[in-house]
Amino acid sequence: MDETVAEYIRRTVLKIPRDEIKMMLQKWGFLSEAQLQTLNFHQMKDNISQEVVQLCEENSADIKQAAVLDIIYNHIYQNKRMWNVYQMKKSGDELEYFDITDFKKKFKGRLQSALKNVTITFKVYEDNAIWIRVAWGTPYKKPNQYKPSYVVYHFRTPYVFISASVLKSNMPLLCQALVVASNYHDICEMELRSHSLKSLKDIVFKRYSQNLQTYCTKPLPGWNVEPENADIRIIHENRSEKERIHRLNEEVFGSGPQPIIEFAQYRLETMFKSDPKMDVLDKKEPFRCLVRFSSPHLLESLKSLAPAGMADAPLSPLLTCIPHKARNYFKIRERKGLFPESFVSP
Amino acid sequence: ESVDPQQTALLLRKAWTLYSVTPLYRFRRARLREYARLLGACIAAEKQKGLAVEVGAEQDIKVALSSLADLRGSELDQAALLVQLSSRSQASSRNSEDKLVWSGWFCSVFGDDLSENMPEDFTSLPLFLSHGAESYTALVGSWFQKTFDCCFRRLAISPQNLSWMVAMWVGCELDRAASAVELVFSVPRLSHPLDISYAIHPEDAKALWDTVQKTPGEVTQEEVDVFMDCLYAHFHRHFKIHLSAAKLVKVSTAVASAHCDGIVKILHSQYLPGVLMLLTELAISQIQ
Repeated sequence: MDETVAEYIRRTVLKIPRDEIKMMLQKWGFLSEAQLQTLNFHQMKDNISQEVVQLCEENSADIKQAAVLDIIYNHIYQNKRMWNVYQMKKSGDELEYFDITDFKKKFKGRLQSALKNVTITFKVYEDNAIWIRVAWGTPYKKPNQYKPSYVVYHFRTPYVFISASVLKSNMPLLCQALVVASNYHDICEMELRSHSLKSLKDIVFKRYSQNLQTYCTKPLPGWNVEPENADIRIIHENRSEKERIHRLNEEVFGSGPQPIIEFAQYRLETMFKSDPKMDVLDKKEPFRCLVRFSSPHLLESLKSLAPAGMADAPLSPLLTCIPHKARNYFKIRERKGLFPESFVSP
Repeated sequence: ESVDPQQTALLLRKAWTLYSVTPLYRFRRARLREYARLLGACIAAEKQKGLAVEVGAEQDIKVALSSLADLRGSELDQAALLVQLSSRSQASSRNSEDKLVWSGWFCSVFGDDLSENMPEDFTSLPLFLSHGAESYTALVGSWFQKTFDCCFRRLAISPQNLSWMVAMWVGCELDRAASAVELVFSVPRLSHPLDISYAIHPEDAKALWDTVQKTPGEVTQEEVDVFMDCLYAHFHRHFKIHLSAAKLVKVSTAVASAHCDGIVKILHSQYLPGVLMLLTELAISQIQ
């Protein structure tokens, strides 16, 4: 077995948390059940990985098999990577039957004709997603197995999720290969990025709960009650205000769980407007700002701002539009004309 | 007055942790070398005790104390005092250079409020800045506390003071291209914490400040409030969020940046005295 393959397998196993190693090796299926029985999973990870490498040596593993183990690891730990969303475009409306063998052949062919040194691995999962791992080399160097790109293509949709390696120069070639292999004619990057692959899918496949079309006049079940022993009149006022905020919040955010994204970025090129009495800046040029929101769960965080008294309800559409516009990067310019208060987002 | 550029190079572009220090009792400028020796011995003794301070504890720590004569505001101020800890690897002691592992300095820039009525035996250097491992800071701090009967306290910076800083620094004239003016807010008490970074093009921020500030060279609380309200209003117009209700935790400009935990980075030598004056004032109010 090649030394570099052995080292790669050793390092891949080291990444896996100790009590998950057995499960992942089973999923991998490259080592037989009998071989797995010989492994002692209670020793130090260093030793476990050495033993795994020895077994792989017995089976003469090559880089192709090692790459499959890597895909399995990254499929389970997909949230460790940052994913970008791309949308492919067809010229016509034809619904073509998706042939997986044909796709693989064309994809491989396109990449290998452009780049001799490249490792391409496929794995199909039950949710109609094909995972592709590409390790990139140059005409003179073997592929770098430690910086691969991952592509997740849901083949009944025009959407592709890519976690690029650091070597961004390979992106155009990767995109080209996808378009050619899938019989589309173009691909473009959406302004949508997150660590949560599932949430990105929820957003583009519209699998999160949409805004309610009508609103309810009484609070939904499970709504909090006010503290006891408080003035009845104050309670009532607060309650109707709280209900109003809650209702408006539900209208714009929907009542179900929000997709998980970690940040949203707005490049503002709008005019600065102020109370004329304040006698401040009155330039004719935009007040240039870059605003970035971040949170482990941004949409839930934004949803909780109005009830916490930190924001007006309903929250600005610039924020609430994130899921249905399927983007978290925005450039906002002033809309010229009748309503200078509204904004344009290209 | 300008400070020696070599000295300022030591002070710029480093993240300094801030402390207020009560006056030092019986501190003598003439005895710096002796103090350095004593502090060095103290550190060596701690190492012997097995309180490992750094990885690579085989290295000898050399202590140097020096006065930065130009680093002060007025004649009433004491000259700044610089403490540097360097290590020389024992392995290659022949011609290797000392590596600076920790530095800290005491200073007073227009600290008249405190130094004015200072009794004779006391030296007023209310602001202390440290850079390097926390363990060294603790060692140096406790030696000074024992030797000069003074007291160190971390200096936090309130949102109000951060606002003051950003308004002042936005207004500074700069000869080269400035970096963005950034304000960082935190909303911790939500179900999921939220951080907001609000960065403004430096020219636009300065243009706004210039229309708010009425008298050049003077800054009033009212002007700072108006400036911040303008920024909050612009933000609210777009996002309907009341930034004023969030916690301002950090401000950054091309002149300097400051974090509410009392960490400051000074980027521009021309404004070093101005920044230090502000920080001296903060230190003094914490002492009093």
